[in-house]
Amino acid sequence: MKTRKLKFLAFLLFISVSFTNSFAQGCSDAGFCSVGNGFKGHEENMKNSVDIGVVYGVAEEGVTVFSQYLTYTRDVTEKFAISAKLTSAIANGDFGTRGNIGDVFLTGNYKFKNKFSDLEGAKTWSLLFGVKIPLTGANDKINNVSLPMAYQASLGTFDFIGGVSLTYKKWDFNTAVQIPLSDNKNSYISNSLITDKFATTNLFERKSDVLFRTTYRLKTTNEKFTFKPNLLFIYHLGEDSFENIFGQRETIVGSDGLTINGNLIVSYKLNKKSYLETSLASPFVVRKERPDGLTRGLTLGLSYKVNF
Amino acid sequence: MKNLFAFLLGIFLFTSCEKEGELSTKSLENNTTSNTAVLKYSGEFSPTSGITVSGFAKIYLENNEYKLKLENLTISDGPDLKVYLSKENTPINFVNLGNFKGNGNTFYTIPTGVNVSEYPYVLIHCQQYNHLFAIAPLTNN
Repeated sequence: MKTRKLKFLAFLLFISVSFTNSFAQGCSDAGFCSVGNGFKGHEENMKNSVDIGVVYGVAEEGVTVFSQYLTYTRDVTEKFAISAKLTSAIANGDFGTRGNIGDVFLTGNYKFKNKFSDLEGAKTWSLLFGVKIPLTGANDKINNVSLPMAYQASLGTFDFIGGVSLTYKKWDFNTAVQIPLSDNKNSYISNSLITDKFATTNLFERKSDVLFRTTYRLKTTNEKFTFKPNLLFIYHLGEDSFENIFGQRETIVGSDGLTINGNLIVSYKLNKKSYLETSLASPFVVRKERPDGLTRGLTLGLSYKVNF
Repeated sequence: MKNLFAFLLGIFLFTSCEKEGELSTKSLENNTTSNTAVLKYSGEFSPTSGITVSGFAKIYLENNEYKLKLENLTISDGPDLKVYLSKENTPINFVNLGNFKGNGNTFYTIPTGVNVSEYPYVLIHCQQYNHLFAIAPLTNN
C-alpha cells in the first residue's frame, strides 16, 4: 500500500514537472506537449528525482532549436512537492547560431488527497503554482545584430504559472494559465531589405496563454513501456505587441488564438529507479502570427529520469 | 547519488554554455557616403553622468536619402546601445535607427518619410536598461 501511495504521489509530482516543462518552451515543442505526461514515477521510498532531457525542434522559417533542461524535484510531504528546473537552448538558422541559458522554473504541486486517492484509477485533483524567472532578456545578438525571438533561449519575461489537474482511471486532464508579469528586452526590428520572415519584437509584450490537455495512458503487460498519446489546446488570450522605431507600441494582428498540438510520448522503465522517455509532437492548428518564436513544426525529445 | 547529480548537472552546464556564431544572413552594410552627399546637420557628443564619450554626429543628404554618420566616436561600453534621432535631449519622441555599430566611423540610414528637421538631437541610449549614454545637439550646416 505504501508503495502504491508513493507511486501515485510520484505520478502527481511528475505532473507538476511536466507542467513546468510545458511552459518552458511554448506551443508545439516537446516541452509544452508533455503536459500531464511523463515517467511513471517512483517505485520505492525515494523523495528526490532528477530529470535531464534534450529536445530537437524545427521552429519558424527553418530555424532549428536544440533545447535542454535539468529538473530537480522533491516530495516535501505526501501532498506537496517542489521542483526547480533550468533550461537552455541553441538555435540555428539564416542568421547563424546562437545559444544561451534560458530560464529557471520554481513550482509547487499540491495534491488533494483523500482515502481513495491511493487506489489506482481513483479520481484525484491537484494544484500547480509557480514562477518562471528569465536568465536572459531575450535580447541575444550575433555580431551586434539583434535576433528574432525564434533564436532566443528564453522568452525574457517573469511569468506566473498556475494550473489544475485531474487524474481519473487512465485519463489525465490538465488546465493551466501562464501570465507574463513583465515585457522582455528583445530589440529585433524587421527590415524587409534583409528578411521579412520574422515580425518585429522590439521590447516585445506577450499576452497570457491558457492550456487544456487530455492524455490517455496505455501500459504494456510487462509494465516496461507506457504510451501516452495526448492532445493539447493552447489559447493565446490577446494580440502581442512591440515598440516600433518611433517608440510607439503596435499590436501584432493575428498573434492571438488557438494552437492544437498532437503528441505521443513513450516511456521505458529501465529499472526501479530510472526511466527513459521519448516524445514526438506536431501542431494541427496554429495561430496566424507567432512572433514569440515558440511554435515548432515538429519536435523530438529524449529524457532520462532517476529517483533517489 | 550525489555523484550522479553532479554528473548530470555537469552535462547540462557543458552543453548549455553561451554560444555566439557568425552572422550568416546578409546585413545592411552602409559605411560610406558618395561625393554627392551634402552635409545638412552636425553636432558634437557630450556624455551623461558616468559615461565617457567623444566624437561627432553628422547628417548627410544623398540621393534624396538622409544618412547619419557617427564620426570618430568613442564611447563607454554598454549592453544594448541604440542610436536615436530625437526631438528632445531625452528619449521621448525619437526614431530608432538601430543598434550602435561600434566606435570609429559608422553610418545609419534614416527611414524615408522622417522629417529630419524635427529631430534636432542624436542620442546614444541603452534600451535594455533605459539609460541614456550620450547626446549630440544638431545644428544646420
